[in-house]
Amino acid sequence: MIPQDRDELNALAGEYVLGVLEPAERRELEAALATNASLRSAVAFWEEQLHPLSSLAAPAEPPIGLWEKIATQLEAMPQAGVTRWWNRPAPWRWATGGFAAAAAALLLYIALGGSPATPNYVAMLHSPQQQDQTSLIATIGRDGLTVRMIASAAPPPAGRSYELWAIAPGATTPQAIGIMPESGVLRIAALPPDVRLGATLAISVEPPGGSPDQHKPSGPVVFVGAVESL
Amino acid sequence: MSDVQTAIGLATTATLIEAVARGSRPALKRLYELESRRLYGIALRIVRRQDVAADVLQEAFIQIWQNAQSYSSERGAGGAWLTGIVRFRALDAVRKHGREVLSDDPGLGDEAQEPDVVDRLAAKAEAGALKRCLGGLDDQQRRCVTLAFVDGFSHVEIAERIAAPLGTVKSWVRRGLIALRSCLES
Repeated sequence: MIPQDRDELNALAGEYVLGVLEPAERRELEAALATNASLRSAVAFWEEQLHPLSSLAAPAEPPIGLWEKIATQLEAMPQAGVTRWWNRPAPWRWATGGFAAAAAALLLYIALGGSPATPNYVAMLHSPQQQDQTSLIATIGRDGLTVRMIASAAPPPAGRSYELWAIAPGATTPQAIGIMPESGVLRIAALPPDVRLGATLAISVEPPGGSPDQHKPSGPVVFVGAVESL
Repeated sequence: MSDVQTAIGLATTATLIEAVARGSRPALKRLYELESRRLYGIALRIVRRQDVAADVLQEAFIQIWQNAQSYSSERGAGGAWLTGIVRFRALDAVRKHGREVLSDDPGLGDEAQEPDVVDRLAAKAEAGALKRCLGGLDDQQRRCVTLAFVDGFSHVEIAERIAAPLGTVKSWVRRGLIALRSCLES
């Protein structure tokens, strides 16, 4: 059982980061990371705070040729990193594979912002010119729609806003969905009807209040992506 | 040197991880150049065998490549994220293969046992609070926390090492963590 009590929770998270939990306890905690935001933040706290202790392990030279082995293994992998995790049936299950740190970070990424803990659909929005560089990720589930700009994405020009649009499957007219807040996270609890499987999401550059026409962007469309099954 | 290479050469760990998330192989290589000695040292300290530590580092970099998307710079400079990956891989390797009996090799030695462990924490600003708060723990609590984090010891291994009952060790670890948290938050 993951405790409710704050001190108990923090101590458990600390034991987890130290690595002293029994395998069954560790699996239970990793499974709970998906749904427990307090636990995620407690784990992140300990990872960051205890990190300086790792400097007590003296750096050492890895064997010669290790990078080449890594590079060879990468070559043999079916897909490069960027879209890979979306192709997994349920990315948060990594947590049970003993890959807790990254799983926790992933969950922070998609869930801390309040996006659905179990998204049904996703859309990765990128610039039409740079299809390998995702700039925003939309997750769609029971809890509605969450669109999150990734940290490295280009912000809108000064004095302008990004506006989100949806084009329903088969439709020719876009529907304005919302303005991306400065926080970079847009959340809409009641899922707009146009946002569904097969729809296209797009971001245009607009004046601060958005395009005057709810069915037509006034500025350039800079990022697009299709809504796909997870 | 191209602009891209120059940019990569100047990039911080966090920026490099974000570039890896976008599929940049050169960024991963640069990350290896910058971080592999530190991370290999962490793995070696836990697994205590060079061949196993090398496997751990290789697995860790594959995971960094696959999962860099999950890193967010809001979480910190990136070093702790990398350390977390390597530590859990090393702990898995130890649970799987067992661990070499602690050697007398000073390079792999029992440094966490030494009483001056707090003094040896790098005098970096980031270590300041941790150093102060570790210094405030009971000696036994501090030994338990450092043996677990730095050496990757389980409760049982700590109990054997410091010749204390298992239940007592568990309690020292737990109380040490509670005291640390309270100090770090103050």
